[in-house]
Amino acid sequence: MSGARLVFALFALGAALALPTAGGPFWTGLVTQMLIFGLLALSVDLLLGHAGLFSLTHASFFAVSAYTVAILQVRYAVPTALAAPAGIFAGTLLGLVFGLAVRTRGVYFILITIAFGYVVWGVAHRWSSFTGGDNGVTNVPFPSVGGVGITSHTQYYYLVLLVVIVCGLGYRILIRSPFGLGLRGIKASETRMRSLGFRTGLHLYAAFVLSAALASLAGVLYVYYNRFVNPVASAFPISVEAALMAIVGGSGTIIGPFLGAGVVLGLRNWVSSFIEMHHAIMGVVFIATVLWAPDGLVGLAGRLRSRLSKPAERKP
Amino acid sequence: MSAAAIEVGDLAKVFGGLAAVDGVSLVVPAGERRVLIGPNGAGKTTLFHCITGTLKPSRGSVRLFGRDVTRDPEQRRTALGMGRTFQITNVFPDLTLAENLALAIVGTDRRKWVMHRPADAFTEVRRQALEALEMVGLEGRADLPVKLVSYGERRQLELALALNTRPKVLFLDEPCAGLSPSERQRISRMIAALPRDITLVMIEHDMDVALGLADRVTVLHQGRVILEGAPEEVRANAEVRDVYFGHG
Repeated sequence: MSGARLVFALFALGAALALPTAGGPFWTGLVTQMLIFGLLALSVDLLLGHAGLFSLTHASFFAVSAYTVAILQVRYAVPTALAAPAGIFAGTLLGLVFGLAVRTRGVYFILITIAFGYVVWGVAHRWSSFTGGDNGVTNVPFPSVGGVGITSHTQYYYLVLLVVIVCGLGYRILIRSPFGLGLRGIKASETRMRSLGFRTGLHLYAAFVLSAALASLAGVLYVYYNRFVNPVASAFPISVEAALMAIVGGSGTIIGPFLGAGVVLGLRNWVSSFIEMHHAIMGVVFIATVLWAPDGLVGLAGRLRSRLSKPAERKP
Repeated sequence: MSAAAIEVGDLAKVFGGLAAVDGVSLVVPAGERRVLIGPNGAGKTTLFHCITGTLKPSRGSVRLFGRDVTRDPEQRRTALGMGRTFQITNVFPDLTLAENLALAIVGTDRRKWVMHRPADAFTEVRRQALEALEMVGLEGRADLPVKLVSYGERRQLELALALNTRPKVLFLDEPCAGLSPSERQRISRMIAALPRDITLVMIEHDMDVALGLADRVTVLHQGRVILEGAPEEVRANAEVRDVYFGHG
């Protein structure tokens, strides 16, 4: 890591640690959500930004995981130490099934993932004896492990921050590994990858399952933050928003999906307090991104930086 | 006597009503350098696609050192020792040249599944990639993204990728396509310098390049083999002149 990036990372970490004191509960809550949905967007972007697959079913893993945790904790009083891994397990299991979508490509992949997403939403919505229907499952406690528990949203924020940092570092290794390089190869030319000996279908399937596991982890973080879960968590708009966050922030990067989550949630929570129709504004932001910043905020920042720096200082 | 490197039996590929390849049988002994020639639309590339597994043949069989690979997927054939280049350059533009090579190097072994270790921590892969680039004359280009290097250099990379899957049989689909005369010479020198234990099957339009490299030549026309023989026989053959060089 270069010196400038290290300074930036330390500065961001310092700001993140100081946030609850400096920013108060509103900003702490918003940033907690940004981290959680950023993690969901990051999971979507493993497929979108690296493998070139546009999934619109990631709300499914997110919600199945959240429902699993909520039902186990609330109805069966299962402790967090079991309920949270069970949530990730359930979401990943669903990923093993939905991952069969990698047999298709392009628009067919998108369509089949949309269909998968609606199946999960339908179950959450209609099977009310199990899922609680529209009301969902409420009164989810804060997580606690072995008598040590989270008791406030501030503490929970720090937990989420820690999990996100660990995931970010792990993700960084993954995308730089031969496996991650293979995904980028498949995105660029699947025919060439096959002729180089790669089992591209299996490669994409493995990426899909990993991505589902990460989305499930985001679902666990979400349900303990939100303290309830209802069918909205599994709905199509969440899948779309997660992809939108990755694109707006900068697809193919790690920081991008989190920035994108900040933009999307910021607009929703903050702008909607004084401007109606934040959805319309979101649409405008998306169109502007596609037109003027196709690499998202991260790409925009990179272009501004290279424009500001003198040509001699640019990297060759 | 051991089995031929490649044995194609009565292979056909039909697109709609058009038989692009119409019953081709071909035997290439191990170690031979075979060149396929024929006018545009003769079915050369389609035949290549069927042999290497990019396309499924409509009928017929493909054997690699005696082993029937007709039903094997492309990546399996690569693992078994087939390597190929593409007529239309098929490399990874956003990756660096070294990363392109790294994919070729790990593609045929288990390292392609490693997730917990950065690719650049594999020093032996890096060393091998640099050697491979030097071999095709791309030293000093290792850390440039492919999209920044010239077309000629991409053709060199195309060849390096195929070579680094450790092929026993190498299929080259017009390796010199679109190159200037000096670049053509450079590439054909590289091909000529390949070790003789790699069996070579090559499509080439340039008759001088083709006949200079070939041990034997197979002439395709309208999806069929019309002649097979030593380069000088093919050059002298009247029928070939008709279909290939035109009347006159």
